[in-house]
Amino acid sequence: MNNVIECNNLTHYYGKKKVFENLNFQVSKGSILGLLGKNGTGKTTTINILNGFLQPRSGECLIFGENTQHLSPQTKSRIGFLIEGHIQYSFMNIRQIERFYSGFYPNWKPAPFWELMSKLDVTHTQKISTMSCGQRSQVALGLILAQDPDLLILDDFSMGLDPGYRRLFIDYLREYAKSENKTIFTTSHIVQDMERLIDDLLIIDYKGVLAQASVFQFMDSFKRFDFELENDKADMKNASFVVNLDKMKNKVELYTYSSESIVKKYLDDNNIKASNFAQVKMVLEDAFIGLTGKY
Amino acid sequence: MMWKLVVYKEWLKIRWFLVGYTLLGILGVGYLLLTVKHDFAFSGGKNIWNSILFLGNQFFSPLKYVSLAGGLIIAIAQYFPETVNKRIKLSFHLPLGENKVLLMMHTFGAVSLLLSFVIIFGLFSGFCLIYFPVQMVIYSLITILPWVLAGFSAYFLGALIILEPHWMFRFYYSLVGGFFLTIFFVPAVTSAYSPANSGLFVLTAILSIALLFSAYRFRKGEM
Repeated sequence: MNNVIECNNLTHYYGKKKVFENLNFQVSKGSILGLLGKNGTGKTTTINILNGFLQPRSGECLIFGENTQHLSPQTKSRIGFLIEGHIQYSFMNIRQIERFYSGFYPNWKPAPFWELMSKLDVTHTQKISTMSCGQRSQVALGLILAQDPDLLILDDFSMGLDPGYRRLFIDYLREYAKSENKTIFTTSHIVQDMERLIDDLLIIDYKGVLAQASVFQFMDSFKRFDFELENDKADMKNASFVVNLDKMKNKVELYTYSSESIVKKYLDDNNIKASNFAQVKMVLEDAFIGLTGKY
Repeated sequence: MMWKLVVYKEWLKIRWFLVGYTLLGILGVGYLLLTVKHDFAFSGGKNIWNSILFLGNQFFSPLKYVSLAGGLIIAIAQYFPETVNKRIKLSFHLPLGENKVLLMMHTFGAVSLLLSFVIIFGLFSGFCLIYFPVQMVIYSLITILPWVLAGFSAYFLGALIILEPHWMFRFYYSLVGGFFLTIFFVPAVTSAYSPANSGLFVLTAILSIALLFSAYRFRKGEM
């Protein structure tokens, strides 16, 4: 069984509002998959279904072959879960919380936890509630690393973190996952963080899955062309290769999976005069906005 | 021995509330007994005896809502932190059955409450034996028993209401729960509740697992 996570025909509504319909995706062993989407497209909903905190209207998700609505304690012990906002038992101090969790997990490895804690300016008896958001994120990360799970599910890990802590979090996590062959399923609203962390991406919006590929494949195939139209009334939106088109007066940003030659041929065939035609190099954040739109 | 870890976590949450409540309860009992002692000294034993036996005076009535307060305090101390940022997810994610971990938490809370009541009302009984005959102390305890059961019911209902994910349901539960608790406090002469105590005990026992329903609703994603 190569897929650690497998979601089939997942459909969910909040009341009459559709979140997603027939969502299908898989996460293979050893990969780091980032779930990307705008606010309200169902990222946290998906995480909640994966952790058994939400029953989908229809469809199912399997983790290690078990339906996530009925995960056995053995399977749960193989999953490290980071709640949005790095929520932990804030009434405990770091010594207490390490002691608490260590008894639940047979593979508990305290060294990564204490190594991370040594980087923080906190005492062992300082309550988590008195720590900064960045410090709390390191506590949550340290606990997950010490648990040594096979699968890590991280809900918006960058929330509330300053750039330094985000970088620390990502670098630690990626190094750990790659060296130990761990699988990660994560969301984040900061796409540039994802670019540094993930191997594969799944981009969803209100319509469904927009893209599922490796980051390399996606960035290689998804392109942006900028050009200026002679006649700013020229309409290209209905062209089959257009994924998204952003037009400001006569300046056009066109996003497509097609090649430059196909776009130019379309312009020629339709007698659309364009100048300053250029392919623009994108980072993942640009591509994400290009695919999902600014609004 | 995962139950020990669950107990450890719950203890960290409620310890100061439990200790504080128990100390206040002890102080309350002390004050009550000082009042009795004062009345014996200034009114005389015959008058006290007369007011208790023939006028229906319940010298222990200041203890009426002590256990109710205890149940609510422990329920809030134990379950409110679990609802902040939906932290209960952490407990559900522990490598235990979700209901099992909740019942462990709940059992710990109920046993803590029981110990606190045993200390408070045990002290009360001990002090009472100094001034009153055994039979009267037993009647007093029979009268107090529904109030103690109300404390447990308040704890169980508190857990149900606090863990309920939807505010409207919380409101309905609070209304029904408040009404239900009045059953335990109907004014009656000393030990008149004796025939009803077993029924109240059964009702309280049934309530003890009510929180599983709120947890079920949470896990199904109600909000």
